[in-house]
Amino acid sequence: MGILESLLTGLDEARRHLGQTLLSLLGLILGTGSIVTVLALFGGQAKNTQNYLAEVGGLGTIIVRDRDMSVSPTARELASKRLTYDDAEFLEQRATTLSAVSPGWARSLRYQAGNTGFTGQVVGTVPDYAVINDIVPMAGRYLSDLDVLQQSRVIVMGWKFADSLFGAAEKALGQVLTVQGKAFRVVGVMEREEFYFAVWSGNQLEYRNERAYIPITTAVSQFAENDRLDFMTLKADPTYGVRAADAQVKSLLYARHGVEDFDVTPPGGNGEDDTQFLMMFNYIFLVAGVVSLFTGGIVIANIFLASVVERVREMGTRMALGATPGTVFLHVVAEVLVVTLLGGLVGLAIGAGLTGVVGRLMGLPAAVTPAIALIALSTAGGVGLIAGLFPALRAARISPVEALRYG
Amino acid sequence: MSEALLHARALTKNYKLGQVNVPALRGVDVDIQAGEYVAIMGPSGSGKSTLMHILGCLDRATDGQYILDGSDVSNLSRRQLARVRNLKVGFVFQTFNLMPRLTVDENVALPLKYRGGISRGERKQRAMKLLDRLGLTDRIGHRPDELSGGQRQRVAIARALVGEPTILMADEPTGNLDSASGAEVLATFEELHAAGHTVVLVTHDANVAAHAERVITMADGKIVA
Repeated sequence: MGILESLLTGLDEARRHLGQTLLSLLGLILGTGSIVTVLALFGGQAKNTQNYLAEVGGLGTIIVRDRDMSVSPTARELASKRLTYDDAEFLEQRATTLSAVSPGWARSLRYQAGNTGFTGQVVGTVPDYAVINDIVPMAGRYLSDLDVLQQSRVIVMGWKFADSLFGAAEKALGQVLTVQGKAFRVVGVMEREEFYFAVWSGNQLEYRNERAYIPITTAVSQFAENDRLDFMTLKADPTYGVRAADAQVKSLLYARHGVEDFDVTPPGGNGEDDTQFLMMFNYIFLVAGVVSLFTGGIVIANIFLASVVERVREMGTRMALGATPGTVFLHVVAEVLVVTLLGGLVGLAIGAGLTGVVGRLMGLPAAVTPAIALIALSTAGGVGLIAGLFPALRAARISPVEALRYG
Repeated sequence: MSEALLHARALTKNYKLGQVNVPALRGVDVDIQAGEYVAIMGPSGSGKSTLMHILGCLDRATDGQYILDGSDVSNLSRRQLARVRNLKVGFVFQTFNLMPRLTVDENVALPLKYRGGISRGERKQRAMKLLDRLGLTDRIGHRPDELSGGQRQRVAIARALVGEPTILMADEPTGNLDSASGAEVLATFEELHAAGHTVVLVTHDANVAAHAERVITMADGKIVA
């Protein structure tokens, strides 16, 4: 039996009972539509997250943080010097898998210029920090190696605080302000940074606009009582990759500390709340899609079961003419398949429309890719195959004697 | 002895209706020679249809032996029986049983499609040849519902013959036709018989049966004459 004839028969059956076919395909259409939408939105979010990671310094950024001491510390824990500036220098020399190391120290300090002042985060760090985090000054310059070497009293301000202290970011350059009563000269103002996971969520990078940067050496000598760091920002060498770098950093630091009193965080740690909300949204869509597909499949199986019973004489005649049970089985499967693929196409179109609307509403770069279209159609086809199994088995069991049953 | 084309011995067939066993054939012996034109007659319930199912390999006997064209087909599987039907039996039905979505020539070529291994071109060519022989050349490309009853039945006869079967079986072939078309169809069978085909015709109509060389009469699951 020609596959073509089976397909044409399927199409013809679908055309002759157009309303019935559309109704029977409704579940499949909606199911495919919502799966297409979910996949497209997933894709949009993944793209968004990638954009975010690129924005905060790319996929190769590893952050090492000082871990809080245990409630009942062991001797080894007490003996450890914890994360220090020496650790950073040690990694710089020994960690072959890293391309950049920047020690970090952060405190909430009060800064003041004239009569205005407020409390904000001050980060003590080195020039590499700007490279690793992909941040650039919009005016002036970033910290230099000389600043670090000389423990200079210079400060690079985030956009927001420069703006509110001096009226405009540009005006801040060259001005003197005090941090905890100690004078610093403003040598640079950073660019304003923004990133939104969704239109309703806040600026994920606003914290960066509310910061100021000073040389790590200045920070330690002016504000700290020891040389302990709060964090280190590391950049993995692309030739080794993040995993190798992650492992090497862990083992080097462990060897120095004798205890794991630090946390190593690979890329992609921040801004999870909004994506979690989106994930829930995705799963609701996905579950709805799967349920629709499931019920859609049952409805299709039923409709075609009825169609096979209705055409029992046709099936019997085919067998009387020499079609084997296997041939008839394939014929019916192909028939169901072509109809469900049709439904899949309609579902795909609906899903594409829905993706456009939802993507625009949520401000996501979501799009139906060829891969998604392929997944949608093969899902619909898969449902068709399974749904076609029962009518096809029923048809294969029809006796050729039915060809001669009249009335 | 068993030179006959169709050779059946002690055929029985029981149908189960719930708990009750209903015998449809109670030991039937039949021999049909190559080239014969035989009518199987009898009232409804006589077992003539059941006999035809078995002789046409549509169904298997409960018991007994059936040799068709030299090979025992008594115990074949459904799949094997389908193959035998395709190669050796041509069917003509009371209600024509043409595929409504296929054109006349596609309908005629259908058994060759099931046979496999025959190219599309050859299938078409063989269908055309038979349609020509049955005077239906001008109906090629039409659908069955555009044809008269007599034309449809002649298309069905062409379909039955396309596979060059050993035997042509017809079940009440004139039952759904007016008398003029019926006569036409019967004339076709006579021509085929004259050309050497073996024809087995099942009917309850004595006038139809009268066209055959030999009449087998059945009653209560047995051959009575």
